[in-house]
Amino acid sequence: MSSLPMNPLLEQFLSEARDLLESIGTKLMQLEDAPNDESVLNELFRCVHTLKGNSGLFTLPEITRILHAGEDLLGMVRSGHVSYSRALADPLLEAMDFVGLLCGEIESTERIDVSHASHSQHLAEALRKLMPGPDACPIAAEDAVPNDASSVFAKAHSPLAHDPSRGLAQLEIIPDAVRTAAIVQCQQGEQLHWIAYRPHRECFFHGDDPLNSSRQTPGLMWGRVVAPEPLPLLAELDTYSCILGFDLLTNATREELDQYYRYLPDQVEITAVRPSWLVKGQSDVDGAAEASSAANRTLSLSENNEMAFNKILAAQRQILLLDDRPAWHAGRLKAVAEVLANLSQVAGDVSARTNIKAALAEAQSTGYHTLLLEWIDAFTSNQPEVNLSSGPSSDDHIVARRTEENANTNPAPDKDTSKALAEDGIKFGRRAEDTLNGPKSLKVDQAKVDRLMNLIGELVVSKNALPYLADRAESQFGVRELSREIKGQYSIINRIADEMQDAIMQVRMMAVSSIFQRFPRLVRDTSRKLGKEVQLVLEGEQTEADKNIIESLADPLIHIVRNSLDHGLETPEVRLAQGKPATGKLTIRAAQQADRVVIEIIDDGKGINPAAIKQKAYEIGIIDEATLERIGDQEALNLIFAAGLSTAKVVSDLSGRGVGMDVVRSAVEKINGTVILSSELGKGTTICISLPLSMAVTQVMIVESDQQLFGVPMDHVLETVRIPRSAIHAIKQSQTAVLRGRIVPLKSLNSLLGIAAIPQANSDDELAVLLVQAGSAELGLLVDGFQETIGVIQKPLIGFLSNLSVYSGSALMGDGSVLMILNIREIV
Amino acid sequence: MPIEFKKNRAIFRNEVSVEEAEGLLEWLQTRPTAKADLSALSHLHTANLQVLMTAKTGISSWPNNAELRAWLEPALKTAE
Repeated sequence: MSSLPMNPLLEQFLSEARDLLESIGTKLMQLEDAPNDESVLNELFRCVHTLKGNSGLFTLPEITRILHAGEDLLGMVRSGHVSYSRALADPLLEAMDFVGLLCGEIESTERIDVSHASHSQHLAEALRKLMPGPDACPIAAEDAVPNDASSVFAKAHSPLAHDPSRGLAQLEIIPDAVRTAAIVQCQQGEQLHWIAYRPHRECFFHGDDPLNSSRQTPGLMWGRVVAPEPLPLLAELDTYSCILGFDLLTNATREELDQYYRYLPDQVEITAVRPSWLVKGQSDVDGAAEASSAANRTLSLSENNEMAFNKILAAQRQILLLDDRPAWHAGRLKAVAEVLANLSQVAGDVSARTNIKAALAEAQSTGYHTLLLEWIDAFTSNQPEVNLSSGPSSDDHIVARRTEENANTNPAPDKDTSKALAEDGIKFGRRAEDTLNGPKSLKVDQAKVDRLMNLIGELVVSKNALPYLADRAESQFGVRELSREIKGQYSIINRIADEMQDAIMQVRMMAVSSIFQRFPRLVRDTSRKLGKEVQLVLEGEQTEADKNIIESLADPLIHIVRNSLDHGLETPEVRLAQGKPATGKLTIRAAQQADRVVIEIIDDGKGINPAAIKQKAYEIGIIDEATLERIGDQEALNLIFAAGLSTAKVVSDLSGRGVGMDVVRSAVEKINGTVILSSELGKGTTICISLPLSMAVTQVMIVESDQQLFGVPMDHVLETVRIPRSAIHAIKQSQTAVLRGRIVPLKSLNSLLGIAAIPQANSDDELAVLLVQAGSAELGLLVDGFQETIGVIQKPLIGFLSNLSVYSGSALMGDGSVLMILNIREIV
Repeated sequence: MPIEFKKNRAIFRNEVSVEEAEGLLEWLQTRPTAKADLSALSHLHTANLQVLMTAKTGISSWPNNAELRAWLEPALKTAE
C-alpha cells in the first residue's frame, strides 16, 4: 500500500483509534453479558462507525474493510436481524485486535504491509458470513474499498443489479440522444457505469464540492442533479449541509472510477450498466422483452412484491408520459402493455390482460394512451400503500427510500439536527462556533507534562536556597532585617511552589481503570481457553495514582491475574465437587489508603498449599533442608516470589514456567511498592499490592556519616534512636542491640558503603541508630548524626553511575549540593 | 466578487465558491422574486446550487458554458 506521511492528522487518528478500539472491546464484552442492552449496542455501533469514518480519511483499505464489515454486522444486530452471541463476539474481537495491530504497524512503520491485505479480507469475510444473506443488508454489497479487485467483482451484485426494475426506472431519465450513444458504445463492447453519488451532509466541511466532482468524473456521458429528499423551505435551508445528490452515466472503467472516488467510496454506488437497461422499450422489442422478463424474475424472487410493483409501474407510467413521439412510439406502447399484462398476471389478475389489450388498441389507434394510464392508476389503487406520483419525483421516492434504509444503519444526527433547526426557525450564519461545546479535556503530549514537572522540580529546589541565603544575610553580613524579609518571601514562594507541585501531580494522575479495562478481555479469553467459568469483579476503578505508577503496574497485574486463572481457580467440575459455585470469582479491587494505592487481587480458587511450595523450593534448591524445617506457612507462601518457582505440573502458554511472580515482585518494588500474598487452602488467594500515589516527590531523611550526607527514603525509616555504646553487644561478628525487648542487628553505614571510618558517637557516647525496614527484616544503621526530613525530586542515576545499585538516585539540595539517596534494600 | 448583487438580480461570474452560499441565501430570503444571471458562470459550488434550487430562483440567462448549463438547467427548471 502507499506509504503515508506521518502527519498530525494521522497521529490524531491513531491516538483516537486506540481509544475507540479500547471502548469497542469493552462494549463487545459488556454485550456478552447483556445482549439486549440497546444503549451499549448503539454506543458500540457509533464507535465502530466513527473509527471506520476516520480510517476513511487515509488510504487504509485493510482497516476500512474490516470496520465496514463490522459496522454492517452490528447494524444488523441493532436492527434485530442477527442476535448477539459469543459466536459473534469472537470474530469481532479478533477483527478489532487486528485493526489494533495494523494501527500499531502504521505507528511504527507509517505504512501497512501488503501481506496483511489477505488477512484483512479474510476477517472481513468471516464477519460478513455471520450476516444472513447478501440481500438482507443493503450496504453489505456496497462495501466500497478502493483499489481492490475482489471487491470490484463483488460489486457486480450491487442493488441495481438485483433490481432491474430500479435500474430501468433510473436509466429511463437519460435523454434519448445520450441513451442512443450509450447503446452504441455498449454494442461496441464498452462497459458503462451508473453512479449514484449521494454526498454526506457534512461533505462541504471536508472541502468536497460534489457538483465539481461529478463534473470531473472520468468518461462522463451524462449526469443530473437530484434531491434525494424533498427540498426544505428556504427559511430552513442549512447552506452547509449538502442535500443534493448526483446520478451519473460514464464509460470510464471500474478501476478509473474506483480511483477517482477512492476517498468517497461510501458515498458513491457504482453499478455496471447492462445494455438491456438502456433500451427504452420499443426501440428494440427484444430488449424490452428482456427487460420485462427481468422484471418478472424480480417479482417472483422479491420478498417485497409491492415495492417492485411500485417501481415498475412508476417506470411504465413515466414511459407513457414521455411527450416525444419517436418513430418507435407504437412499439413502446406495446412493450408497456406487455409489462403491465405480466404484472397483472403475477398479481393474480389474469383477466386484466384483455383490458390491457383493449387499452393498447385504443392507444395505438388514437395516439392517446389515457386508457393505459387509467389502468395503471387503477392497478396502483388496488395495491395498498402504493404511493406513486408522476414525473421525475417518482424515482426520487425510490432514492429517498434507499436513503432511509441507509439512515437506519447510519447514526448521523442529521434528522435530529434538521428538526431542531426547524424548531428554531430562521437562523443566519450558523457555524460551528455557535454551538461550541468542545471537549473539556485536553490531550497533551506526556513530554510536555514531564517538562513542566521538571521545571517545577527545579523551582522547588531553588526555592530551598532562600533559607540558606537568609542565614547568610544574618550570619555573614549581619543584616537581620533582610534575613527576616527573605524568610517571609520564602514562605510565600514555598506555598505557591507546593501548590504548583500538587497541581502538576493532579495532571499526572490517572485512574486505575485505564489498566483495569483490559482485564475483562484477558479474563474472558484466558478462562475460555482453560475451560473455566470466571466472573470478574472490578472495584474502585476510579482510584487514581501517578501515570508512571499505573503504567508500571500493568504488567505485574497481568501476571497475577493469569496466575490466578491458571493455578488458582478450578474448573467448574472440580468446584462443584467441592461445593463451590461453578463460576469462580476473581475480584480486582483498588483503593486509596493514606498516601498509597492498594490493589488487591482476590480469587476464590483452591489456594496455595504452603507445604507444596516448601517442597518445591527445596527440590530446586532455593532453600536448604534446615530452612525447609524451620519456616512457617506465611514465609513459605512468600517463596512463591522467588525466581524459578512454579508449582504447576504443566507448563502452559499462560503461566507455570516459573517466571512471573518474581518479576511481579521486582516490578512492584522498583516503584517503591510492596506485594503481600496470603492464601487459605481451598478458599482462595489474595495478593495485595501497595504502591505510593506518586513517585515524583520522595520524602527522605538526611543522615550524616563520615561528614557526608545521605538520603534515606522515609518509607524505610522506622525510627531514630541513640543507643549508648555500652548497650551494643557483639554476637559473633555482628553487633546487636536490644530495643524494646527485640534484638536488632546493627550495621555501620560506613562499612556497608566501604568507607574506612568508624561511626562517631556524640558527647554522651551514644551512637546514632537509624532503624530501617529492609524487606521483612529490621536493621539498625549506625550513622554519625540525623538531619531534617525533606521532600526531594529524585532523579535516577544515569550513565555509568546507574550501575551503582546502592544508590536509588540523586537529588539536588537547596544549597546546590547533590544528595545521594540510599537504596536500603540493596545496601543490607 | 463572484456574485454581484443588483437590485433584484444576482450576476454570477467565473467560479462561485462555497463561501458565497450563506450570503446568497440571505440575499434570496429577502427577495423572493430575484433572478439569477448565470451567463458568465464557469462553476457553481454545490452549496450555491442547492440554495438556488431551494429558493426556486428564476434564471434570467443560463451559463454560456454548455456543459455547465446541461447540469444546471434540468435542476433549476425542476425547482421552478
